[in-house]
Amino acid sequence: MPPQILIGGLGTGCIYALVGLGFTLVYRGIRMVNFAQGQVFMAGTFLGLFLVQTLGLSAIPLLIAVPVISFAAGWLLERIVFRRLFHSHEVFVVGAIGLGVMIENGIRAAFPEPLPFPKIFGTGVYRFIPGVLFQKTYLWIVVITILLVILLHVLFTHTRRGRALRAVASDAEIAGTMGVSVSGAIGFTFGLSFAVAAIAGILIGPLYFVSPDMGEMVGLKAFSAAVLGGINSVVGTILGGVLLGLVEAIAAFYLSTDYKDLFAFAILMLMLVVRPQGLLGRVVPVKV
Amino acid sequence: MAMAVVTGLLGWGQGALAQDIKLGMIAGLSGFGASYGASMQQGVEMAIKEINDAGGINGRKLVEDVADDASDPAQSVLAMQRLVNDHVDIVVGGWGSSMVLANMEVAERAGMPYIVVGASNPRITTKRNKWTFRILTNDNGHAVQLADLAVQTLHMKRIAVINDSNDYGVGARDIFIARLKELDESPVDVESYGSNDKDFTAQLSHIAAANPDGIALMGTLPAVPAILNQARDQGIDARFFGPAGLSNEAMITLAPEASQHTIATAYFHEDLDPQAKAWADKYTAMFKNAAQAPRPSQAVSAYRGVYMAADCLKKVGTDKDKVRLCLKDWHGHFFGLPPADLHFDDTNQLVVPVVIEEVQGKGFAVFKPAH
Repeated sequence: MPPQILIGGLGTGCIYALVGLGFTLVYRGIRMVNFAQGQVFMAGTFLGLFLVQTLGLSAIPLLIAVPVISFAAGWLLERIVFRRLFHSHEVFVVGAIGLGVMIENGIRAAFPEPLPFPKIFGTGVYRFIPGVLFQKTYLWIVVITILLVILLHVLFTHTRRGRALRAVASDAEIAGTMGVSVSGAIGFTFGLSFAVAAIAGILIGPLYFVSPDMGEMVGLKAFSAAVLGGINSVVGTILGGVLLGLVEAIAAFYLSTDYKDLFAFAILMLMLVVRPQGLLGRVVPVKV
Repeated sequence: MAMAVVTGLLGWGQGALAQDIKLGMIAGLSGFGASYGASMQQGVEMAIKEINDAGGINGRKLVEDVADDASDPAQSVLAMQRLVNDHVDIVVGGWGSSMVLANMEVAERAGMPYIVVGASNPRITTKRNKWTFRILTNDNGHAVQLADLAVQTLHMKRIAVINDSNDYGVGARDIFIARLKELDESPVDVESYGSNDKDFTAQLSHIAAANPDGIALMGTLPAVPAILNQARDQGIDARFFGPAGLSNEAMITLAPEASQHTIATAYFHEDLDPQAKAWADKYTAMFKNAAQAPRPSQAVSAYRGVYMAADCLKKVGTDKDKVRLCLKDWHGHFFGLPPADLHFDDTNQLVVPVVIEEVQGKGFAVFKPAH
């Protein structure tokens, strides 16, 4: 098998992992699935494109500005929209899907067709192995993904805010009685999930064209990745994303690209039947 | 354009009077074919404006009813049904073979004259057709010419094929490969992809391993420029060529370097005659500030379709059967194509030539074999 396939699979897998992290963060916080995550990812790409075109930002400033703005958007949307949907999972899921459709169509109205994204990470290729091209963009994707995982780990284990988030994830009621601001923690969680997905959006921008429907399939695949790895486990979701990216790439090469998506969703079905908690997920006992 | 869409959505709420002649326009104004659909819509809009400015059709105003099929075969059936329910007098449009194969059934059942201006699968025009007419060359014409060009003119020896797995891509691929076999050649590799795919690494790795000197690309945007870019990124330097799905200026915008010298068959080129040039200039000026940049090669078929419809509506009025018979007997000439007496064959397929063009710089130039 050409190593080129593995590089492509790894890059795509990291994107699934990052968007999947958005699902995981929200799920850990409120035990609900935000199906607008794919559109948040897409909106992040368009925000990045806008900032590059208007302010001429380069890679690093963009990787700071976009998550900051997206964090604020996520926090705000939690206040205005999501908070009112928490009362039932069904309402939340339908509401989130509806929000996703609104984001997608809102952006489509302004940008009806695919646009090129500037090559902000450079156009060069590395040849670590003879005959194998490692595009700079792929290198950025992998490095930024690793950095983000480390940052999230530090946030959750070594900061007061992170411990508060984990306390709320574990038991919001008790955390609340211990003086943790539950609504603050949930707002922060949404902000974080938006920021991570938006970063994935900028990372993938230079590889493909930017179009309003780019989030649909990525969102579903990222959800599969999260379920595969364990939707309540950060490490599990990263692993699930990378595995899914690799399996897809290998299936596309050896079988047929027509069945690439079939594989992703067959894995999702299989996991839901055989091991619903995912590879690294925990079974959370129902508290009575 | 937004206004037209809104008018379309509201049905005939504003502006349309009982004596107006209603022209239905169907295309994907959203979904993966949006960039083609928006251009077609511009072509229709321009023709209707010109016709009305010149006094309409025997004094009656021509008005447009837009139906967006979202580039989706299932929605395309509903969109055509809506035009039938709106009692339009004729339908012009149809983008994408999968969509047209689905929505033409509605037109046939309803007895609705339908001029197809944006789909080329041969199965669209068969002897069964009564109401559906097509005014562009089908894939037989494109794919056979491309195979001849690759083998006889460009002397390619190792030809790879990559195609969209929809009706358009598969149809063009099969005809192309059959023609190659007649020329004693066979492709060194054949790959396919889905219309909405973004990553083509797997297919391109196979193609790179086959070391081709030419690659036939049977598809449409946005996949086409993505394939061109990713092929060059992978170090594949073979020349790409393909049918009219590639004849879209947006391909050059999205793959400015990778698309250079790509060859496409096309339905129009402004350098072929002065009338074509004048038309392209007028059209470009009209849509200079539109949400979608003007693309003459994509708008021209829809423009021609409206004029053909107007021709018959002028001659025989709005009786659908009379319009159908008038179209069957239509003879004429299209600017921007090699000269020919155009007429429909017994499958309602217009016998019409194509022009071969090549990407040079920021646009298409008529292909010259010596290049």
